Amino acid sequence: MRGQITGRLASLVKRSSKSAIEADGPDAALLADLRSALAPDRVKMDGAQRSLLGHDASVFGGGVAGPVCYPVDAAEVSAIMTIAEQHGRGIVPRGAGTGLAGGAIPLGAPVVIAVTKMNSILEVDTENRIAWVEPGVINLDLSKHLASYGFHFAPDPSSQQVCTIGGNVGNNSGGPHCLLYGVTNAHVVAMEVVLASGEIVTLGGLDAEPDGYDLRGAFVGSEGTLGITTKIAVRLTPNAPSVRTLLLAFSTVQAAANTVSAVIADGIVPAAMEVMDQRITIAVENYVNAGYPTDAAAVLLAEVEGLEGGTAIDADRIAELGRENGAVSVRVAATDEERALLWKGRKTAFGAVAQIAPDYYLHDTVVPRSKLAEVLDQIYEIADRHDVLVMNVFHAGDGNLHPLIVFDGRIEGTWDRVHAAGGEILQASLAAGGVLSGEHGIGVEKQQYMSAMFSDDDLDHQGRLRRAFDPACRANPGKVLPAGHSCADIAALRKVPSGVWG
Amino acid sequence: MDLKLDADDLNTCVQCGLCLPHCPTFRVTGEETMSPRGRIALMRAVQDDGVPVTDEVVDAFATCVQCRGCEPACPSGVPYGHLMERTRETLADAGAMTPTWQRLALKPLAYPAMLRAGSKALSVAQRLNLVPARLGLSEEIPFSQEPLATSGDDLFLFTGCVMDAWQRDVHASGQRVLEAAGFGVTPTNDLAPCCGALQAHAGLARDTRSLAEKMMANLPAGGGETPRPIVVDSAGCGAAMKDYGHLLGTPEAEAFSARVFDIQEFVAQHMNRLPAVEPLELAVAVQDPCHLRHVQRVHDATRTVLRPFVRELIELDDDGLCCGAGGAYSVLQPELAGQIRERKVASIERAAADFVASANPGCSMHLGGVGVATVHPMQIVDRGLHGIA
Amino acid sequence: MTPSLAIDDPVLSTFAAEVGSNGPIAVAGGRTRWDHGGSLAADARIIEAPQGIVEYRPDEMTVTVRAGTSVEELHAELAEAGQRTALPERGGSVGGALMVGENGPFVAGRGLLRASLLQVRYVSADGALVTGGGPTVKNVSGFDIPRIMVGSLGTLGLVAEAIIRTNPVPATHRFIASSDVDPFAVPDVILRPGCITWDGSTTTVMLEGHEVDVDADAARLAELGSFADVDGLPELPAHRWSLPPSDVRLLGAKPNAPAVGAFVALVGVGTVYASNPQPQRSIDPTVRLISDRMKNQFDPTGRLNPGRSVLPFEPNKAGAA
Repeated sequence: MRGQITGRLASLVKRSSKSAIEADGPDAALLADLRSALAPDRVKMDGAQRSLLGHDASVFGGGVAGPVCYPVDAAEVSAIMTIAEQHGRGIVPRGAGTGLAGGAIPLGAPVVIAVTKMNSILEVDTENRIAWVEPGVINLDLSKHLASYGFHFAPDPSSQQVCTIGGNVGNNSGGPHCLLYGVTNAHVVAMEVVLASGEIVTLGGLDAEPDGYDLRGAFVGSEGTLGITTKIAVRLTPNAPSVRTLLLAFSTVQAAANTVSAVIADGIVPAAMEVMDQRITIAVENYVNAGYPTDAAAVLLAEVEGLEGGTAIDADRIAELGRENGAVSVRVAATDEERALLWKGRKTAFGAVAQIAPDYYLHDTVVPRSKLAEVLDQIYEIADRHDVLVMNVFHAGDGNLHPLIVFDGRIEGTWDRVHAAGGEILQASLAAGGVLSGEHGIGVEKQQYMSAMFSDDDLDHQGRLRRAFDPACRANPGKVLPAGHSCADIAALRKVPSGVWG
Repeated sequence: MDLKLDADDLNTCVQCGLCLPHCPTFRVTGEETMSPRGRIALMRAVQDDGVPVTDEVVDAFATCVQCRGCEPACPSGVPYGHLMERTRETLADAGAMTPTWQRLALKPLAYPAMLRAGSKALSVAQRLNLVPARLGLSEEIPFSQEPLATSGDDLFLFTGCVMDAWQRDVHASGQRVLEAAGFGVTPTNDLAPCCGALQAHAGLARDTRSLAEKMMANLPAGGGETPRPIVVDSAGCGAAMKDYGHLLGTPEAEAFSARVFDIQEFVAQHMNRLPAVEPLELAVAVQDPCHLRHVQRVHDATRTVLRPFVRELIELDDDGLCCGAGGAYSVLQPELAGQIRERKVASIERAAADFVASANPGCSMHLGGVGVATVHPMQIVDRGLHGIA
Repeated sequence: MTPSLAIDDPVLSTFAAEVGSNGPIAVAGGRTRWDHGGSLAADARIIEAPQGIVEYRPDEMTVTVRAGTSVEELHAELAEAGQRTALPERGGSVGGALMVGENGPFVAGRGLLRASLLQVRYVSADGALVTGGGPTVKNVSGFDIPRIMVGSLGTLGLVAEAIIRTNPVPATHRFIASSDVDPFAVPDVILRPGCITWDGSTTTVMLEGHEVDVDADAARLAELGSFADVDGLPELPAHRWSLPPSDVRLLGAKPNAPAVGAFVALVGVGTVYASNPQPQRSIDPTVRLISDRMKNQFDPTGRLNPGRSVLPFEPNKAGAA
């Protein structure tokens, strides 16, 4: 199986954008209809624009964009959907293009609907503890805006300074502090969405228990395959008056992982528990000079949020549990500046690594907390065997691993080794009772691995859920479900246009 | 087409997109072609894949303000500014951008007399309402002022071209502050007519190189123990002069660049030489010029210098996003420059300060174009030290 | 190859065989909400779901439990390790609680039921055992089947087993009540209340957490009004209304107030326990369209829980249904 997967992924590896630029343009009638529905300057089809929107932040390329639309409201999105349907085209939604699983890569020259011009915070309703925002609002901008009200938007992915709320909804995004607060699904109460058929509908509601199936819940994390959000009611999370951050150093990764399990078993739910291995700690320390101990095999960054008294108790207890499990040092951030610097190290970890080699491939799997150390050992072994460098920085509190393979893709044969190692890491995570993805999603990256986790019946039912929203499978075609399942006629999509997919 | 870009520099970009929110043109358009990530991808497409240089591709490059706000945001350290300057240089050489009228317009900068004459003509034209409002020039361009006088030879104060013609009072304040710190000042006046920044932005790096060589010859290090510092009160000029080492690639140029200091940077290092005074009853918002914050990265010095002289310093809430001035950008891309300026003005309004301090003539003229008055930090320090002149 | 979520529990296979692939069928739990969503068709065969806690891992904060297990039994087991779930404690089975989808009165502290279901195993209309979601606390692998299962009244599949997120029981808790406090000011001063109720005159607050935090919260509340310790929440009326939290303000002796009758409202949540039932709410036609398609996709012959629907039947179709 691995060989087949590697072959498929290899064909998706980012390559020349030449073919995309020179590919035949979409038919003129489609373009004319779109331009008459939107302002002409908000429908682009020049080669530059289409080539750039052929990929996202993932290592995958090979997408071919049709016309690129920048709508400004739900009515325009609806018009685009209707026109695309009339012309038999798919659509692909796009936010900031920071996805790492290739979810925004256009397959089959679909109409690209970029929501970046829909970027207003429409209403902050503190009594209902929600804000209505447009999908193009940037995650961190929203939290900054909410700060003056004493609230924030809890999901905080590492890309939060650029990723959009619409993209967070599409990927059910997480982040370090989701350990305490939960992922995006827990922070979206209602959404106005446009279905692929053009209907505009509100899913969920501000009331406690909206009637019917939880269509809102099904939509979050559907990677743009059920439609597009045009307005989102996000939950406001109050800013805690007391935050304490601890940095614990360990002489083995196992000891750090044991501490994480011990903390949870002790009845503490920290706001975040992040682990970095020695390799990445050294890289980060070179970059931020936050005083991370570079001689430790692993460091644990733990944070508790709440009221003054309780956070003091929890922080002391975490330090105690750390020492019981072999922590060689425990440091408590004394000031906000020190705390910010520690977090800067964690949040720019991937960037710091990018200076070591020109390419990186960031993986994302989840394993039971009790299996963290065991799976990490396997990951190092797999990487060694494939002669690639792997570093680990991860959301230990919820078992969410982010093995980071660092390499130089210009060296012949490297990509094959990277993908082979990645495939084995996934298999090891599943074998340990884990899942394929904790927060990056399936996109094109993990489609073929879906069968390694789910049975055909399971996948068939996922397809049914999808068709309830989009019977014709026109929203983000060719994603999530693997070839051989409905809504996943990838072979046909790959034919358009010829040559690009190799 | 070979853009003559270094393959390693180009490959440093991993397409993560963290630069996007720090790019003023992406912020106002939301379009990938208007983002650093998009522009780098296009450079690759042109250089590596032979993609033709269409109007849209040129437009993507021409709309870059070159504020370099993306550089500090980039975890991979992509040298974006150099990539963009080189791209423009190659395209300008090939006749694909920077048309003749722009080249001609930049010529007078190197010739002080011509510039002063031109400014005079422009100021007359402006008073006669002949200058289109969309140029966004500040309300009144002064007719003429007396040149600055030398007070000693401890350091050079770079006076430059546009700024000397239009904002000589800033130089005067800077000189008084430096003198208050006990330095004898040599204003460069016609010794160093122009730094060449605008030319480099336009892809006319050859012109910049020749201006750099001229300046290096005219501003010697002197025979003292430490080479004579060259203090610059325009952020854009200082950034360009600190880049001569890279531009010319010679040890002499590197040594020259090492002598260049932004005036805030320089004064901040000598605060102990300034007398203690009562702070002015002012709340001052700091508007960091991009070439101070993102390129020279010495914007903290502005705060160090201002703090003792004012009651309150206010930070703008836009994370140092560009104001849209960008040297000649506001003239070449008036629509985008205006949209970018609207964001900045909104942030300034939220700050509700008595004054906005900005250490670059381009920013102050651009903001002045919509009635936002700015002062140079040195003018505030000067006032704190000497009262109203 | 065998998928990692393959099912090899003979108890579940037996249940699937019992469901079979044809004929109207329903599963009975504790029958606490038996008529919720309409009356079960008379010809439906009624079976029971398998019982038992399959695996409980306190250090994973998850529990795998069969649908027929009573919530009481589950919570008793969890309590020994100092944990609990978002399942409401009102009698009945785990499967029934998930299929009805109601949150309990302590939802503010315990979290939403719909967010607590990590993985679900159910028998499909054609008798197959299907797994949705995954066993870990964080998971975005494919379409989120567990979300549409919570509150689905067994109309999409018959739940056999669930993996549910658990949470620690806080160190201490305390109920206090006041008749002179503004109930809507309470959420502003309490970071994480366990529950805030208001019945039009009395505000009852459940505080939970570390003792020092509970005391600090109580002290803050004492600045808003005079509070006294009480044993628990007031008696909750039988019917439930779902309102936006801000609409709770409209209740009580106000003109144009919703006709809830006697009530106990969850402040900051919007659930109102009332003596009168909530009138039928209008349903967006597109929501109905998607919901109908969902039902048809999962149960094309309509054999699962016939007579029940998650949306109120339209008046003009009521006879036909």
